[in-house]
Amino acid sequence: MKKHLLEQILDKKNRKEEFAIITNISTGDSFIFEKNKTLDANFEKYSDVINDYFENKKNGMIENTDIFIDTYLRPTKVIIIGAVHITQYLVEFAKSLNFEIFIIDPRGYYTSDKRFPDINIINKWPLEAFEDLKTDSCSALIALTHDPKIDDPALKHALKNKFFYIGALGSKTTHLNRCKRLKEAGFKEEEINSIHGPIGIKLGGKSAPEIALSIIAQLVSETYKS
Amino acid sequence: MKKVLDEKILEEANSWIKSNYKVALVTVIKTWGSSPRQVGSKMIINENGDFSGSVSGGCVESSVIEESLLLIKENRQFKKIELKVSDENAWELGLACGGEITIFLERIN
Repeated sequence: MKKHLLEQILDKKNRKEEFAIITNISTGDSFIFEKNKTLDANFEKYSDVINDYFENKKNGMIENTDIFIDTYLRPTKVIIIGAVHITQYLVEFAKSLNFEIFIIDPRGYYTSDKRFPDINIINKWPLEAFEDLKTDSCSALIALTHDPKIDDPALKHALKNKFFYIGALGSKTTHLNRCKRLKEAGFKEEEINSIHGPIGIKLGGKSAPEIALSIIAQLVSETYKS
Repeated sequence: MKKVLDEKILEEANSWIKSNYKVALVTVIKTWGSSPRQVGSKMIINENGDFSGSVSGGCVESSVIEESLLLIKENRQFKKIELKVSDENAWELGLACGGEITIFLERIN
């Protein structure tokens, strides 16, 4: 692989693009494959089958050829409501995972760069923040303020946009009250039941890093279910 | 399908290149049986034998390092290697798990 190709790959990863690296293992040539872009002449005759692998997000040797395809998928967008103590550990645990993290918190004193270096922090109320943040059914929401003023608008946005994972921090009572409010706001029972609350798998721990770990574990497991 | 893992091996490879190391990139391109790492798993090795990442659960990494050092020393560009448990002559250490893998070694230069 050429150095400049590696740099192009990293650039694409940084820009969260979806692409594949195709390598002819009998010549050692590698190229970047992107949808709707012309293939290098050496790979042109395989374009249909390469497209097919890419569409199906398959990695591996393409049958009856010397071509290896390595697909790079867009990271899962994870939106955390609340730049709280647990969030600091969530960000730490998520570093080696393919997640693109955004933290939303309207409270200025929580969102300092010193608490969250190199993370996208949006110091706005959720509804305002979501105006500029593109989300869809591949997005996840982790609501951690357990303040209805901040969490509820974000939960409603996530339900309406059919996020594949929605989790909300709070005791069983807090969650029951939350469900009641959402029902009054017109959400269906099955929608409300899709919220993971209290959030996280049962690990038993109560400290901030333990809760963060239980949330990450639940998020990863739901990612593979969807 | 979503992919949760991103081990940042290519990012690390780039930082080695910037520090003027000679780097071999090894990728799992095929697996059979109960091989521990999936297709696309990566490992990098430099001329000092430093390495990062993995292509198995630790069963064949030492042989992969030797092969990578040879690739760098002989100034070759790439090489494909099949690691089979039964192939004792080529590989002292087989995959203890009973799997087989094909790996692709290439220089980044």
